[in-house]
Amino acid sequence: MATYNSYQRPFSVKVRKFFEQFGKHALIWTVGILFFIPFIWMASTSLKTKIDIGRIPPNFLPRENKTVEINGQSFPVFMLTSVDGTSKEVAVQGYEGSDAIVFDPANPSSTMNVPKDTLTEILIVKFHWENYVNAMTRASRPGMDVTFFTYLKNSLIIAFFCIIGTLLSCTPVAYGFARIPFPGRDTLFIFVLATMMLPFQVTMIPLFKLFNETLRWGDTFLPLIVPTFFANAWDIFLLRQFFRTIPSEMSDAARVDGANEWQIFTRIIIPLSIPVISTIAVFTFLWAWNDFTGPLIYLQSHQNYTMALGLQDFQGQREILWNQLMAASVIFTVPIIVAFFFLQKQFIQGIKLTGGKEG
Amino acid sequence: MDQPASIETPLKKQRRKLTRMERHNLRVGLLFISPWIVGFLIFSLYPMVMSLYYSFTDFQGILASQQTWYANYAAMFRDERFWNAVKNTIYMVIIAVPLNLIFSLLCAILLNLKVRGQSFYRVIFFLPSIVPAIAATMLWIWILKPDNGLLSTVLSWFGVHSPNWFLDPLWSKPALILMGIWGIGGTIIIYLSGLQDVSQTLLESAELDGANWWNRLKNITIPMVSPITLFNLITGVIFMFQYFSQAYVFARFASVGKAEIVVGRPMDSTLFYSVFLYDKFTNFRYGYASAMAWVLFIVILLCTIALLKASNRFTYYAG
Repeated sequence: MATYNSYQRPFSVKVRKFFEQFGKHALIWTVGILFFIPFIWMASTSLKTKIDIGRIPPNFLPRENKTVEINGQSFPVFMLTSVDGTSKEVAVQGYEGSDAIVFDPANPSSTMNVPKDTLTEILIVKFHWENYVNAMTRASRPGMDVTFFTYLKNSLIIAFFCIIGTLLSCTPVAYGFARIPFPGRDTLFIFVLATMMLPFQVTMIPLFKLFNETLRWGDTFLPLIVPTFFANAWDIFLLRQFFRTIPSEMSDAARVDGANEWQIFTRIIIPLSIPVISTIAVFTFLWAWNDFTGPLIYLQSHQNYTMALGLQDFQGQREILWNQLMAASVIFTVPIIVAFFFLQKQFIQGIKLTGGKEG
Repeated sequence: MDQPASIETPLKKQRRKLTRMERHNLRVGLLFISPWIVGFLIFSLYPMVMSLYYSFTDFQGILASQQTWYANYAAMFRDERFWNAVKNTIYMVIIAVPLNLIFSLLCAILLNLKVRGQSFYRVIFFLPSIVPAIAATMLWIWILKPDNGLLSTVLSWFGVHSPNWFLDPLWSKPALILMGIWGIGGTIIIYLSGLQDVSQTLLESAELDGANWWNRLKNITIPMVSPITLFNLITGVIFMFQYFSQAYVFARFASVGKAEIVVGRPMDSTLFYSVFLYDKFTNFRYGYASAMAWVLFIVILLCTIALLKASNRFTYYAG
């Protein structure tokens, strides 16, 4: 690609380099645009009217008929093409058979009849931000005080407690595995790693029975939250790897000064591990926020739904409110994207550990 | 608290007592890891034992269960729908996983080129992968809609007629694969970190020796990122065996306007292993579903071991 012989003149090398750079940029841009277009489509759909959504072929930007307001009444405006080829904008008052009754917006008093096929629609770009308000406040079940806002609140509550639970349980466990040389530790750690291989389907039914029948926690957040207070293999592993890199001299010095393990853990190790702890907090949030299967299994009544479940509300038996669904999806997605821009390092580190799969 | 089995072996062998320090460490260590021990017993070990037990009964939720031994397994292997689910899952493992890997590697190579603005491009390529799976699936259903979707419109510019992804069982899985490719950002990132370790001097000297782009890719880059490929392959295969949410939402959409919502629509073409298992679970066929879960577990274990064994032959570890 970049091989050239010494007899080539520098200018031609420059030209060649330029085209090479240009080609690379063009290639990246093309693929990048393909990756990005769905986002634009989501945002654009979320701002469209219901009529605009049904249009074939669809418009890229939200569009609607131009209207004119006369004496507090709104009339659609069309382009009238006359026989002589000239065209002008007219407002349509009504229809009579194959004719339309139109008038000049500047002179509303005089109307005239023209054939419908001489009129063409005028579409203007208009963003319907109220879709967002409607998506959030739409009663998902008539009579119940449940809106998408309820789901947002539920998702936040669950994510918050999952982060608390994960951090409170995984840090001491990882400390135990990383820095206390107790007999049998390495054997137990193999069990920790082995649970990573366990598909959730294996434990699903007994846990469902345990939570629903034995503990009577059905249709509450507890089955989703409580297990996080008992540590999980991925985060133990990540924290343990990090704790092991902290020099043992620091703990030894504290031990000489009379500190016990708990004090070493809370006063020395934790403050030094803020980067990895924030990675785990971010990833626990991401996991809890995106989780679909857990809520699907345990949450039955609509006032307990999370956003992942609630998105299905916009899908009725016969039709789908695509504009509101996309607005709700934007609301669902934006917190994660915002979090990503602030916490890129944590995201990348977490991806490298988990393989970046979600499901 | 149960004592770890391993400490008994040295005790028997050496016939010595734990020193005071060791006993102290054991007490403190177990205290520190006690959340995991309790969690392991309640949320892993107990349910594992129970589901293995259920798989040998005709347990159906409310009804009293009866020992049936291998009846669930036998019924499963005779069930045409089960084999259909297996077939669909294997389709995804064989087609979607390699496609994801190939596209991820190519994108990672693009993002590893020495051009300005790469950190910006990396964000663009990565963003789709953090969109919640449900939202991403809904968005893609909207894009793929055959009458007024974005894709069918673009295809029509080129005179191509869009297939009906939601009615045609031949096209439903390609639709899901397409959705999956949009979200490969995580795999790209992992490949990218691997590419940054590929020796630049090796690539440059190969270039001076006249190796073209394809030869350098085939003979240097791909062998050098093979450990990463292995990691991505294992996680990809495990993910595909448990593929659920996207297929579930897809089938729900394919049911719009139909009398009832049925998993696997259209015509069981999106009935994947985990979807079928979930279907059995919601129909209170707990014994059957548990048997399926255990078969899944064993298959995942075997696949991982096989891939790790095979990797000794195909992957290259530097140093």
